[in-house]
Amino acid sequence: MKPVLTIADKEFRAAFKDKVFLLITALFFVLSIASVYIGSSTKNAEMTAYNNVVDLLKAQGSSNLPVSPDIYPLAILKNIITYVSMIGSVLAIFLGFDAFSGERENGSIKLILTRPVYRDQLITGKLIGGGMVIGLLLIITLIVNILLFTAVSRIFPTANEIGRLVAFIFTAFLYMMVILTITLFISIKTSDRTFGFLTMMIIWLFIGFVIPQLAETQRNFAMSLNSTSQAVTTVATDTVASRIIEYFSPAAQFESIGENLLQTVSDTAGIGVLSVIFKQAISAFCMLAPGIVLLLASYRAVQKEEL
Amino acid sequence: MLVTENLTKKYKDFTAVDNLCLEVRDGSIFGFLGHNGAGKTTTLSMLTTLILPTSGCATIAGLDVVKDNLKVRKMLGYLPENVTLYGDLTARENLRFFGRLSEIDSVDARIDEILGLLKFNEWKDRKIRNFSKGMRQRIGIAQAIMHKPKMLFLDEPTSGLDPQGTKDMRDLLLMLNKEWGTTIFMNTHLLSEVTNICTDIGIISHGKLLAADSLSNIQMRFPQAKSLEEIYFNIEGGEQSETGSYNS
Repeated sequence: MKPVLTIADKEFRAAFKDKVFLLITALFFVLSIASVYIGSSTKNAEMTAYNNVVDLLKAQGSSNLPVSPDIYPLAILKNIITYVSMIGSVLAIFLGFDAFSGERENGSIKLILTRPVYRDQLITGKLIGGGMVIGLLLIITLIVNILLFTAVSRIFPTANEIGRLVAFIFTAFLYMMVILTITLFISIKTSDRTFGFLTMMIIWLFIGFVIPQLAETQRNFAMSLNSTSQAVTTVATDTVASRIIEYFSPAAQFESIGENLLQTVSDTAGIGVLSVIFKQAISAFCMLAPGIVLLLASYRAVQKEEL
Repeated sequence: MLVTENLTKKYKDFTAVDNLCLEVRDGSIFGFLGHNGAGKTTTLSMLTTLILPTSGCATIAGLDVVKDNLKVRKMLGYLPENVTLYGDLTARENLRFFGRLSEIDSVDARIDEILGLLKFNEWKDRKIRNFSKGMRQRIGIAQAIMHKPKMLFLDEPTSGLDPQGTKDMRDLLLMLNKEWGTTIFMNTHLLSEVTNICTDIGIISHGKLLAADSLSNIQMRFPQAKSLEEIYFNIEGGEQSETGSYNS
């Protein structure tokens, strides 16, 4: 276990010495903070407008007051889902794209593997080191955003909402670890760090944009079909085909889980956190599956590697 | 100290190392000579447990490099050719990382000791990215010897070094051999280096070992030769004549 922790510690320190990584991390923080601030301010404005209308109607003696809008405070944070899905992925890619190809290029992999270290410990160490970086970033994001959200919106989250938020951050951690695992695998399989990075960016484009857009196109097709058929024969908007397409995108699955946890889906906005997790089990499985498969493939590949 | 028996490495149809039978004496400095692509680095990679032999076996201090690889790794130090280490980390951070992997107890004290030995203490908190080739090579050798290995493997250790760097490296290797009793196995194609520091040599060509003996015995076998270079070409030329590859 000691070599694993030594490798993890080195990865953790090296990440925070990489200027590009720090720049993307700063961007992630700024966007998430701005998102929470804007979301909280908008919610405040919405509530103020509602209260003004109610006050005005009451002053006019009206007894027919508008229904109070549903307050789902976590929905304020919904933009973070996109930031984790997009910028969080890039962060994970930056953490792992040269994890092995870089070691090969600078010759240090030979120095590590001529010490009492098993090859699988090298992968585990790198994964734990990356996980420590990702975990730290997400925990800071969680704390800063809860504080900001409470300060700006003056809404104190309930235990269920805090539970949802923690579950969301944990899901974000797992999603970023899946991207890191895919990146590690690509790094093992490529000998050139630039080629590995470009390969990973293409994969990122596919799982982050191309596949979700294909699913969206399929949904749009169903909607136009419904429109043409004039409700004689309607097709569900969320078609089986589009859902199957999205199963191939961990990003789409993460967004689906995130939207449900952060109360942006009305069906699940009012239920308990455990019920949401249970309802999203298939999405969670589809999000994690590529990571688990490629992690096992990485262990296998690194054992076979000829240095 | 090191024994190989019919050590062979094949890559599909290509035989990189062919039935290598070699013995390196405890406390010797063994120069492994051969042209580019002769099989020196492949041999070194098998001996340092980086790659598995296709057949045959090798032992270091009686331990099999395949079966007892973790125990073997604790005994060996290794400096590959053109190692650049982690540029974003300082010399001390690089050495701390490799020291911990080598299970050194008081690693910081050992780093100071080794860098003092290499007269490198003033640079220890600078990032390696800014180091010259010679400075990196010193950090490379520092990581290789910091756990005081019984056997040190070096792949072209003076490659790319200026004359002063070459002399410093030579002096250091002689010191390690005499004062620490480290057995040194050195891949090189610089014959002057071999003459200056090696006690024993082996010559490999096209994966086959052509000769292996003490330097003095090899020189006695070719009394008419004026230099090691002449001996080397005599031995290698004999092999080429046998194979017919360069014989016109």
